[in-house]
Amino acid sequence: MKINLDTPVVENREQRLGTIIAWDNGSATNLVKESSTICSGCGANDGERLCESKGPFTQGSVCSEMMVECQAGNIRDAVLIQHSPIGCGAGQVIYNSIYRNGLAMRKLPVENIRITSTNLEESDMVFGGIAKLEQTIRDAWNRHKPKAIFIGTSCATGIIGDDVDSAAAKLEEELKIPVIPLHCEGFKSKHWSTGFDAVQHGLLRQIVNKNPKKQKDLVNVINLWGTDVFTPMLAELGLRVNFVIDMATVEELAQMSEAAATVSFCHTLSSYLAAGLEQEFGVPEIKSPQPYGFDGTDAWLRELARVTHTEEKAEIYIAKEHARIAPRLAELKELLKGKKGYVATGSSYAHGLISVLRELGVEVNGSLVFHHDPIYDSQDPLSDTPDASKNSLDFMVKDSGDVPNFSVSNRQQYQFYGLLKRVNPDFILVRHNGLAPLASRLGIPAAPLGDEHHALGYQGILNLGETILDILAHKKFHLDIAAHTKLPYKQWWLDQEDPFVLAKEII
Amino acid sequence: MAKKIKQIAIYGKGGIGKSTTTSNISAALSKQGYKVLQFGCDPKSDSTNTLRGGDYIPTVLDTLREKNSVKAHDVLFRGFNGIYCVEAGGPAPGVGCAGRGIITAVQLFKQQRVFEELDLDYVIYDVLGDVVCGGFAVPIREGIAEHVFTVSSSDFMSVYASNNLFKGIQKYSKSGGALLGGIIANSINTPYAKDIVDDFARVTNTKIMEYVPRSITVTQSELHGKTTIENAPNSEQAKIYNRLATKINEHVESKTPSPLGVQELRDWAAKWADTLLDLETGVIGTKAAGNL
Repeated sequence: MKINLDTPVVENREQRLGTIIAWDNGSATNLVKESSTICSGCGANDGERLCESKGPFTQGSVCSEMMVECQAGNIRDAVLIQHSPIGCGAGQVIYNSIYRNGLAMRKLPVENIRITSTNLEESDMVFGGIAKLEQTIRDAWNRHKPKAIFIGTSCATGIIGDDVDSAAAKLEEELKIPVIPLHCEGFKSKHWSTGFDAVQHGLLRQIVNKNPKKQKDLVNVINLWGTDVFTPMLAELGLRVNFVIDMATVEELAQMSEAAATVSFCHTLSSYLAAGLEQEFGVPEIKSPQPYGFDGTDAWLRELARVTHTEEKAEIYIAKEHARIAPRLAELKELLKGKKGYVATGSSYAHGLISVLRELGVEVNGSLVFHHDPIYDSQDPLSDTPDASKNSLDFMVKDSGDVPNFSVSNRQQYQFYGLLKRVNPDFILVRHNGLAPLASRLGIPAAPLGDEHHALGYQGILNLGETILDILAHKKFHLDIAAHTKLPYKQWWLDQEDPFVLAKEII
Repeated sequence: MAKKIKQIAIYGKGGIGKSTTTSNISAALSKQGYKVLQFGCDPKSDSTNTLRGGDYIPTVLDTLREKNSVKAHDVLFRGFNGIYCVEAGGPAPGVGCAGRGIITAVQLFKQQRVFEELDLDYVIYDVLGDVVCGGFAVPIREGIAEHVFTVSSSDFMSVYASNNLFKGIQKYSKSGGALLGGIIANSINTPYAKDIVDDFARVTNTKIMEYVPRSITVTQSELHGKTTIENAPNSEQAKIYNRLATKINEHVESKTPSPLGVQELRDWAAKWADTLLDLETGVIGTKAAGNL
């Protein structure tokens, strides 16, 4: 068995998948190659799958616990308790705004996020925080009467060894609702995507219906807060959407085991849950390229159609959509001719976006991803080569061509500066904060894809094209910003050719 | 279907003979035909030394420090009679967090399903017994060990450590944690030593699994880097360890102990101090003093 649900603690990504967060060794093709063979050459990584570039420091980013906030904290009739000092609650502010926006975009009743902190203090660190946790669980129950209560652990509770599992079991018995411990201590993984896995592990263990009644037209869509582009698309195949995890209800999460298939907009997000649903409940994960660009979307729809026996409808839809978007696509290509784009987002989502840019005729000669998973959870970790049908990086390279300057850099602004200088793009695509302001000061506008479904499917090709036209119209504004601002780096760093030089110098 | 692995944890104050006892139990169970894994949970990392000819093995945490990820098989070594040996390891004295180290090491093994894969009969955790933080309680929490045994001499500090352990067991007993199998009374060479541990077992509502005398055979064996079971299999001491292992093997039902409160423990100790003084001053007759 690949995913182990017997233990309450999820195995981190580096352990399961060999995940890395820094790499700058040339092209995307090179990364595909290095991901598919066990490294034996340099000896630096002791036979691990993929060598990682190791620098002396990393700029602040986010942690696994924050991913728990933005997933378990966004379930509509549940409560998340942060068993932590109050500082970990800083993320509640931004996640509340994202949650409210998401609900509005999905036309659901707008409400505030329900996250509560146990506010651990000095004395709790010394004497243990379980009593406070139990009290907070009861308070959350009395205040909200939720259908489930999630508990996110923190670095502090991980170090003192608070027995959150026992407290959760006790309160589950007492309150007769699932009380789910999510082990997401920030120090446990170098990459925050382990936080996704922690939530999904908890859902698979304690929420998902163990005796599913199959619903053969129901498809799990693992996503975030994006607009609902899936319902109309899947309706063409006669299928219904079960959106998870964000903004779902506990009942919708429970019925994941009843679905006919699981799809996603991004393998990075869905890897653990989709593989777990297949392994434990026989819900097939759609193992195909992601739904970006013509070839990706065609292949994705065809695989979904094969699994759900809706091939004929899928072919009709594919033909219809190709024809529908062709005229405007031709215009957009003309308008975007000669433009260079750069993608700086999460891992497999970036692979999809690059494909869409290529459909629009935009040149992509450089991009970065925040981390890289050499394999996904659907694959046996002992296998030498990544799962071909799901290898989004390999698909991107083979389908639309190589990216000569491809890097793995976990939201490191100081490296982003040099990476942009290397290829000098006309615009960048981002989804996360912190990178666009730096690009602006270089005179490069950014398209912030807050709605992660914006570029998805056939319509997504047009959407992205229109957005790029919009932001290119701001070019003069950005050049003005560049002329009147300074970057916070010393001349020595500004003159560096290699953004990863600190990882290579012998210090 | 996979058989049920019997997982036990042996706690005791540092230096009380816990690793010696644990390794001899492992060796004896192994000789009785069981597949055993001994998991050292002490930053000193020497639990399994006498199963490995005195060798130290690379620890889980040292390996984790050097590499991105640890495959459990990289830190699993074979010792005497094929016993699997693992050392959790931990930080150097005075730095870091040894308790977190135990959490990390135990989780890693659980996640990788190693125990099931090795088709084990026994997993024996050898844990530093001053249960000073949550980490040291991990082996007695739900889903890890089922039975706990404590190694204790009749020295007050050792009894104190055992009483602390009982408090930990009592706490976790309500949430599916391990229960107490009994006390392994170690270094018991005098009647009064036996009387003290017997009395402690009585007042805390537990039992003595075995009385293990201090023996030169153990010291000789350890100097050879071996357990008594391996080095002197026909010795009187080996017979005692074998008997202990058999009792552990036959042991089925553990209980929640009744640890003494702070004042109760002091009063209990004071009572024994008076008794020992009476012994020394002859108030208690030589008959009662046995071979003192």
